[in-house]
Amino acid sequence: MNETIPLPTRFADRAAMLAHLAALSGRDEAASAVPDIAAGGRKAAEAVLAKVDPRAYAASRNHLDGAVTRLSPYIRHGVLSLDEVRNAALASVADPKQAEKFIQELAWRDYWQRIYLAHPERVWTDVESYKTGFDAAEYDAELPADIAAGETGVACIDQFIATLVETGYLHNHARMYLASYTVHWRRVSWQAGARFFLEHLVDADPASNNLSWQWIASTFSNKPYIFNLENVAKYCGPDINTIPRHNLVLDQSYERLSELLFPYMGGPHG
Amino acid sequence: MADLVWLHEGALRLTHPVFAAGGPDAATIFIWDRDRLAASHVGIKRQLFIYETLAEMSESRSLDIHEGRAEEVLPRLAAQAGAGRVLVPSSPDPALRAEIGAIRLAAPDLEIVEIEETPFVTLANTPDLGRFFRYWNKARKSALRPQGI
Repeated sequence: MNETIPLPTRFADRAAMLAHLAALSGRDEAASAVPDIAAGGRKAAEAVLAKVDPRAYAASRNHLDGAVTRLSPYIRHGVLSLDEVRNAALASVADPKQAEKFIQELAWRDYWQRIYLAHPERVWTDVESYKTGFDAAEYDAELPADIAAGETGVACIDQFIATLVETGYLHNHARMYLASYTVHWRRVSWQAGARFFLEHLVDADPASNNLSWQWIASTFSNKPYIFNLENVAKYCGPDINTIPRHNLVLDQSYERLSELLFPYMGGPHG
Repeated sequence: MADLVWLHEGALRLTHPVFAAGGPDAATIFIWDRDRLAASHVGIKRQLFIYETLAEMSESRSLDIHEGRAEEVLPRLAAQAGAGRVLVPSSPDPALRAEIGAIRLAAPDLEIVEIEETPFVTLANTPDLGRFFRYWNKARKSALRPQGI
């Protein structure tokens, strides 16, 4: 019987490890640049966990520069358990209610995982019909090349795509904007968008990711999620380009966007 | 006979209950299956994060990363380690569950035991998963207590 030789675990630096992984995956071109992603490992996870402030999180988490935790890659890979993160949050506040919003977000992860176990087929198939006035067949099955390249011509969307590709991370609000733009402005199937996120997010989880895309699409919610430029400007701060002439398709009222994006809503399709 | 701990990408910490179940001397392996990674859309950035985490774990415990398909690699490594039992962290991932099923068929003498993650909440009944807030209304009380008890 042949002895199986384990793969190396010690490398001079991150670039050397990345080159090793690119060779293993047969994608040498992927070794060209070291991405600016979260550090792996328990030590890094504990350092991130030590900085969590549940009260600040509750107050500002919807803003791109808010007190988000960046715990998601560690929770997704079991480097930290939901239980220990919750316990740490409770230990940092005087009253459990001060940590409730943060713990509720942990509960979303538990919820998605329970669906994954009970109904694994829902992760790649529509849980319900689209509630947009369009049938599923009317959505493009492939991600358009300009979205993959971050060259849509919509300034804030292209910035979100660049951040996703370069860092493997996007703030949750930016994920929602990008997913909504992909499904509702471009009429691309949520599955195509979900695959794009899975390829790039360091915290990518099929259940959390795909079921959240279905929530945006309206196949796992009561209505489609849309946004407008005013909302982007409110939550994204000065680093994101929200100049109207650079984001024309987003610069509308919600009423007008509903008319433009869902002209058949309430009609024979839905 | 000894136990063999088979880790996967959803349970990358030495405090996972799978290690308590296997004891301090259980050999630990991670199987790097490039085809499964590709099929699961695991990009190079996430691969780097996973590998960095495994490399750090291997500094404080004997942990080997092996390339190949689990159905082929796992029975061979279990035999080499003299293990009659394989302990694997439980996972909802259907690809992993299919692998476990295939190994059970191919190597019926090899016992595979799934070890549950530390629970987040304690629920008396199976919750309604139709919408998040139906679940949350049942889970909230437990979720806001230490250890979810």
